[in-house]
Order: sequence, then structure tokens, then C-alpha cells
Amino acid sequence: MAGIEIDAPGTSQLFIGNEAIARGALEAGIGFAAAYPGTPSSEIIGSLASVARKMNIYVEWSVNEKVAMEAAAGASFAGIRALAAMKQNGINVISDFLVNLVMSGIGKGGLVLISCDDPSAISSSNEQDTRPIAKWLDIPLVEPGNFQEAKDMTRWLFDLTEEMGTICMLRSVTRIAHARGNVKLGELSKKEQKAYFDQIYDVRKAMPTTFMPVPSSLRHAFLHQKLDKAREKFELSSFNQYVGPDKADLLIITCGSCWLYSQDAVKALKLEDKVGILKLGTLWPLPEKFVEKHLNKSKQILFVEEIDPFLERSVMELVANLPPTSPRPTFYGKRSGHINAYGELNPDMVIKAITGIMGLTYQPRGIDYGKKAEEVAKSYVPERSITFCAGCPHRATFWAIKNTLKLDGRDGFVTGDIGCYSMALGPAGFFQARTMHCMGGGTGVANGLGKLGQFGFNQPVLAVVGDSTFYHATIPALINGIYNQSNFILVILDNNATAMTGFQPHPGTGMTAMGEPAKVVSMEALCHSLGARVEVCDPFDLKGTTATLLEMVAEGGGAKVVVMRRECELVRGRKEKHPYKVYVDPDKCIGEACGCDRLCTRAFLCPGLIWDKKTDKSKIDEVICTGCGVCVDICPQGAIIKEAA
Amino acid sequence: MDTKVSGSQELFNEVIDTELCALCGACVGGCPYLVPYKGRIVLLDNCTLSEGQCYQYCPRTYTDMNAISQQIFGVPYGEDEVGTTKEVLMARSTDAQIRGRAQYGGTVTALLSLALAEGLIDGAILAKMSDDKIPSAFLAQSMEEILQCAGSSYMACPILEAYNHIPKDNNHKLGIVTMPCQILAISKMKKEPPQNRFSINNVKLVIGLFCTWALSPEGFYQFLRENLDLPQVTKFDIPPPPANRFDAYTPSGKVSFSLDQIRQFTLPTCAYCLDMTSEFADVSVGSVEGIEGWNTVIVRTDAGAELMEMAKAEGKLETDTLPPQNLAHLKEAALLKKKRALKEIIKRSGDKKNLLYLGLSESMVDKLLA
Repeated sequence: MAGIEIDAPGTSQLFIGNEAIARGALEAGIGFAAAYPGTPSSEIIGSLASVARKMNIYVEWSVNEKVAMEAAAGASFAGIRALAAMKQNGINVISDFLVNLVMSGIGKGGLVLISCDDPSAISSSNEQDTRPIAKWLDIPLVEPGNFQEAKDMTRWLFDLTEEMGTICMLRSVTRIAHARGNVKLGELSKKEQKAYFDQIYDVRKAMPTTFMPVPSSLRHAFLHQKLDKAREKFELSSFNQYVGPDKADLLIITCGSCWLYSQDAVKALKLEDKVGILKLGTLWPLPEKFVEKHLNKSKQILFVEEIDPFLERSVMELVANLPPTSPRPTFYGKRSGHINAYGELNPDMVIKAITGIMGLTYQPRGIDYGKKAEEVAKSYVPERSITFCAGCPHRATFWAIKNTLKLDGRDGFVTGDIGCYSMALGPAGFFQARTMHCMGGGTGVANGLGKLGQFGFNQPVLAVVGDSTFYHATIPALINGIYNQSNFILVILDNNATAMTGFQPHPGTGMTAMGEPAKVVSMEALCHSLGARVEVCDPFDLKGTTATLLEMVAEGGGAKVVVMRRECELVRGRKEKHPYKVYVDPDKCIGEACGCDRLCTRAFLCPGLIWDKKTDKSKIDEVICTGCGVCVDICPQGAIIKEAA
Repeated sequence: MDTKVSGSQELFNEVIDTELCALCGACVGGCPYLVPYKGRIVLLDNCTLSEGQCYQYCPRTYTDMNAISQQIFGVPYGEDEVGTTKEVLMARSTDAQIRGRAQYGGTVTALLSLALAEGLIDGAILAKMSDDKIPSAFLAQSMEEILQCAGSSYMACPILEAYNHIPKDNNHKLGIVTMPCQILAISKMKKEPPQNRFSINNVKLVIGLFCTWALSPEGFYQFLRENLDLPQVTKFDIPPPPANRFDAYTPSGKVSFSLDQIRQFTLPTCAYCLDMTSEFADVSVGSVEGIEGWNTVIVRTDAGAELMEMAKAEGKLETDTLPPQNLAHLKEAALLKKKRALKEIIKRSGDKKNLLYLGLSESMVDKLLA
């Protein structure tokens, strides 16, 4: 498959949505791109970084979305076209900068914000529709309905944002970001980039360009004027289109990936001549005249969108403001309950809504087909739980934490955070984590708990964060714990990668997004310089790690730090062979009997260990086992053996 | 099985978490779930078994005293206040080195050494004090190692963990010196031998100690550490009434504490224990009131009697008749402990028919309470 930088305008290439967006940015001639990894957005900066040197642009993984957004804004202020990309949570993280940025305006370089939502939170802590922030903060917003639009809209937004003098936002979802489709390429920009931050030396003649939100209400009024201009452009945009009869039994108003589901649904029902689809690409400000023109196509309107009723409410607002003689269609959507106001949608859901509204039946298969299919599938698909990879150091860390807290005996617990280790909420991490919110949230929560001694609180609190999370959001909370003397232990899981999102580098890994060597920001040196006690442990040394944790937990006092250092197995496994060959001696294994009760396959839960129902013994799955040897130390009978590979 | 056995969760809920646990160690060392730590038994993980050996051998889960007595002695339980006896006598070691290290007469050390020398045992599970007086289980396999374990710490120590740690295919012969609660656990094992463990039939010699109560290894140890330079202490002793003292011997002299200060550290479970003289041992050994440097010895089984005879014949032990008033007093004290314990049990359960862990007939309960 071609890379996003291929110089072949007019040809058609197969790209995932994120690559299409990256390509659009290249065609727009960006010079600067920044992001923090976040599913489903990571491939945007990932693919730009891989071609950065060739295309003579700068691309970075920033420590967090706020810095990424601010850095991109900085580039814009100096006249360079810049892009910041993030998942839905990143929007929350940048929000304070954003509210001020919409007031200050952007520089001569266009500035585009890409927000990739994760409906159904397939790979997220929360489910969140980021489109309302456009309405909240007055930001022009577009949403691509397929891969071509992902590229074309990104390309177009850079012109728009420079014309408006304000940041513009493109909202995508997983099924566009991570699915593949044909994209017809445009010309790559060959324009040379020159960065300069405007200075005026005679303030009697003119005020220097200053990017600030003050005076706020005046700038707010200017912002609304910008938005009116944007609306005029949106009225004429070809990203908004209607397909269907002049008089329809049902009008679907849709956007984004739901456009594809709606088309599929109408086709499956063979209702192309009865159901029209009004697809909007420019969502905010709403192109009111365009929408109004199509409102009389049907007496019934169904809104199909993910996740919140954003378009639905905008159109309802529009209709409420029309003169009383205008058509008043019946609205169906999330408010009426015909479409879920949560989770991903799919063609079946849209079919159900349409048939419900139009009083039709649609039965392409037997009524028990789904049930039968599920049963057949069950016999082929083994039951699997969500768990850490075989060889993951987190499994060993949480095993040590579990034992430590039980031995300590004061009902200690873990405040969790965001990353692979979020799974400590469940059996994979032995249910050790009791809270999880946002990046850095666990350490913040631990700060509060650690000050409750005067109310009789004496439960040990461990705040567990990943290495990337540490740089992203944890440092201020740690400083707070040291300064306010809060009694908790910060456990940093240093597996040398931002693993959950695809092993992106971070300040601890010694590598940049563009593959260049980087200064390592030592987390233990940093914590030590803040005045905390710092210990570094190898999680695979279960005994030593447990002993260190026990001692630190018993010590009490203000915040302190333990770094659990061992490389992510998936990263290590690409570079090196298995360290050990591991196998189970069936003569020694006592399995379900008293004295074991299947500790390895029932409690420890490494997927490299399987239970052989024929022999009633544990067994190593040679395909999955990575030869780390940790299970050797937990078997009570010494039945698991490791030999140097 | 005639009695209902449950699993580790029930053990935790019924015994460990309710101050009934005697810290005997019978439940630990045999699996990865239960471990001793700083004077507590810790359940590290769920074990899902509905029946486990941890529950089965615990001396504070249902224990049919009669069945055990029949198993070991062939007679019903409770016929004698000090348990089934072949002989009660006084004894002390003839070896000056042993007597120098001993708590009282050195009889236990002398018997163990003889048994080891004669190949009756290959090793013994004992409680050994570290230099700073922390007791822990120790498998002694030589005369020197046995000597190192002489002397009481008065603190509860889960030495039966060491039994559970011995590999199951090991064929060595084992001796063990226990407290009454630990004897009870071993007796339950003798009645229903453990699976996947070192064979209980390899336990050839059980020497039981007299016991009124044991002290908490966490709380009491803390007290000792605050009040003494522990590495300097050579011996602890609680002299018989009416002394009412806890003594610690150091090179610069004896430090004494009032027993009233110490009693707060007794394990709550000791209030529910009926056994003062380790009634199910082969040989039980204690002090002699009013006669320093001698042991009271109760010989109970054939194995115990043979060893005692051998000890006398080979001149390892000096023996004498126990003065009648000492025996009377011992029986009185033993009976008093049974009465007190029964009363405490019934007070806790609130029902004369609910004896918590004790399996005793109603007539036996009435007889003891009379």
C-alpha cells in the first residue's frame, strides 16, 4: 500500500480514515503537527511522523494534548499551518486553552483541530461526543462521512481557518478513522514554509498582533461575526447533499459514519424511492437555509447520528424559530427513542428505526438466526477475558501489589488511571484498582485520600500510573502530595512505551516521533529532585518487589514513589528471543486439588497457561507463552519449570 | 468424613477473622493462599474449594474430642483432668550443657537428642528464637540445632507451617514439639491423613508442652522491644504462682514485669482452650511448681514410654517421683482451665449446646462444669 506522501495526484489509494486526514494535511501544506496518542486518533500523527523528514515538516508526540494544541497554536501564530489531533478526552484536556484561543484568534498559519471520538468506548474510559464543544465555544465544525471526505475536508479546512482567522474542527469516529476506503489523491503542496512572529515597532501606527482573549466580550462579538461568515460558506458546501425523492415518506438527516449506515439501511429495505437522505458535512454553524430547503421533503424526519442528538437539536432549534406557517414535521431520533442516545450505531439499528416509523416488517432471515449463529460461533470461539498479554510486567506488578496489601492487612487499595493497566479494575489485575477516571486522575484522588488520617483513615493507598501517564498529567499531583504531605505511594509502571495506543515513544524512551534520539527525562531523578523517596524495582522479582512495597506501605509519611521497571513484552519480543523455555511437569501439577486450586490458570491468569481438561493439569501454550518465567515463582508445587532458551 | 469440612473462605470467616485463631500454623504452608505474617494468618487470594485441608485440620473448627481420644488412646475423652496417662513423674537432663540452656530441666532437649541419635527421628520441628527473640519454625537436624531451640519465647508461633512445607515424597522421620493447640491439629491429621503433603505417619514423636496461654507475637513483641535490649536477653520465664511475674534474664540481671501488664497480650483464643497439658502428645512436659530445674513429665503413649525408658536406661535422664501435692495441684489447675474455657465458650456462643469448635457430649460438658 502506498504511503500518505505518494506524489500521484488523481490516482486512487487505499487509506484508513486517519491516513486520509494526514494526506489532506500534506496537500494543505502543513508545517507542524502535534498530538498525544489516543485511540482512535493515533495514526494521524503516526503516519505524518513517518514521512516528516521526507516532506520537510515537523511532527511530534507531545507529553499531553494541551501542550500539543498549544504548540500547534504557536506554529500558527508564527504563520505555519498546523494541526493537532486527539481522541475525545484530549478535547477535555485542551479546553481551557481552547476557550481562550477562540477569543484570541489564530495566526497567519491555519490551525485545524482533529477530534476522533470512540462511540461505545471500545478503547476508552468514557464515551463522549465532542461535537457540542463547537457549539459551546463557537468553532466551525465539519464531520466526514467517508474516507474521501476525510481527506478533502482536512484540505479545505486549512483555507477556511485562515479566511476566518479562527480554529476549525473536524470530528471523526472509529469507523471512519480505522476503516479503509478508496481516496482519490490531490496535489501535494510544494509551498515553502517560513516562520515569523509579527512585530510592530511603532505602536503609534498600529498595535502589535497580540494573541490574547481580552477584551473578552468584544472579541466574543467578533467571533460570532466570524461564525456568520463560516455559515455563509457552509450554505454552499458540496459536503452537504441530498439523495432521494422530491416527496419522501421519510427524510433521514444524518452525518459522519451514520451516512454509510443510513445508505445501507435504505438499500437493504429497497426504499430508495420512498426515503430520502440529507447528509450534512458542515455541522456547525448549521447551514440553516440549506436545511430549511429540504424540510418540506417529508412530514417525518429521522435523525441518525453518533452519539448525542447534536444535529437533531440544532435542526429542532432551527424549526422552532421558523414562522408558524412553515412545515412542522414529526421528528424521530434520540428524543423519541428510535435511535439510541448512546453507543455506536449500525445499519441494523437504522433499519429497525425506519421500519418502526413506517410500520414495515423486515425479516431477511429466520427469527432465531441470530441465536443459532451465536451458538455455532461459541463452539469455535474460546471464552477469553480481557487481560494483559503473556509476559506483561503489569501482571507481575499487580500480583506483588495484591500480596503486599493483603499482608499489610489494613484494607489498602489502588487508585487507577488510563492505560493497559486500567485492566487492574478486573480479574487481569486481580481487582486491585478501585477508581479510574482520566489521565493523572488516580494520583489526584490518592492525594485526597492520603490526607484523611485525622478522620481515622489508615488504609494504604497506591496510585498506579503508566510511564506515559506520568509525564502527561501526574507530576503536578505528585508535587501536591509532597508539598501537602499526603500519605500515598505513587507506583509508576515503566514499560518504556505508550503501550496501549501502539507503543509510541515518550520522554522516557529516548526517541522522538520522527525516530530521532531524544534526551531521556529520567522519572526517578525527577521524583527524587522533588524531594520524594524513590525506589526502583523489577516487577519480575516478585519477592523483592513485594518486600519493598510492604516496607514503604508500612512507613507512612508523605508521598513517595516506586518505579516498576521492565519493558513491555510486545516491544521486547520484537527485538529479542524468549529468555526461557517454560513447561509444566504434569507429574508435579496437582491442579484442582487442595494445595493449589488451579492458581496459575484460575487466579494468575496468564494466557500462556492453559488448563488441559483431558488430563486435569495445567499446560503451557507454546504459541502464546513468551518465556518470561514469572509463573515458575507462583506455582506452589514447583511444577512449572524454566530452562534457558 | 463425619464432620463438616469447609474451605478457606469459611476458615477466614469462622476462625481467622473472629479472634479464634491460635496461630498454630496448621493451615499455612500447604497452599499459596494462606500465609502467616506478623502475628496474623493472611488469606492472599480466593481459593474456591468448598472443602480444604486448612479447614479440616484447624484446631478451632469442629473437633470431635472423643473420636480423637479413641483414635490415639482407645479411650473416651475427659476421663482424667490431665488427659490419658501411663505415668506422671519428674525428670531432668543429666547433661550439664543441656541444663544450662534449658527452660527448666532440659527434658525436652534430652529426649529429642536421644531420639535423633538413635535414629528414631531424622529431624524435629521446633520453635527457634532469633537473636532479637523473634520465634519462628525451624527444622532441627543435629544436636547443636536442637540446643539452639531450647527455651520458651511465650509467644504464639505457627510452627506447623514447617510440617506443610516438607516435600510430600520425603521419607524422613520427624519429631515435633508443640503447644496444645498444635497437638490438636496434628491429632486431626492423624485421624484423617493429609493429601499431597508429607505423610503424617512419618511423625514419630510428638512432645507437648504445658500451656496456660500464649502471647501475641505482634503486640507482645512490640512491648518487649520497647522495654528490653532483646539481643542481651538470655531467657524468659513465667514462674509459677503466686509470683505473678514475667521475667527476662540478662547478663546484668533479671528484669521483671507484672503479669497484669502482660495479660493484655494473651491471644483471645486461649480463653477457649481446654487443654493445659497437651493431652494428645506422646509425652507432655512442663515445670515443677516449687522445685527449680526439674520437669513434670506425663507419659501417654507406647512410643512415649519406650523413649522415656531408653532415656533412663542410657542415663540421659534423671527421674524421680512427682510429689503428690504437685500432681494434685496440676490436676486442679488443669480442670480449672477446662471449666473456665467451657464457660467462656458458652458465654460467647450464648447457647450451652453450641460449643463453637468443641465436639463434646452434653454429659461431658455437665460433668466438667459441675
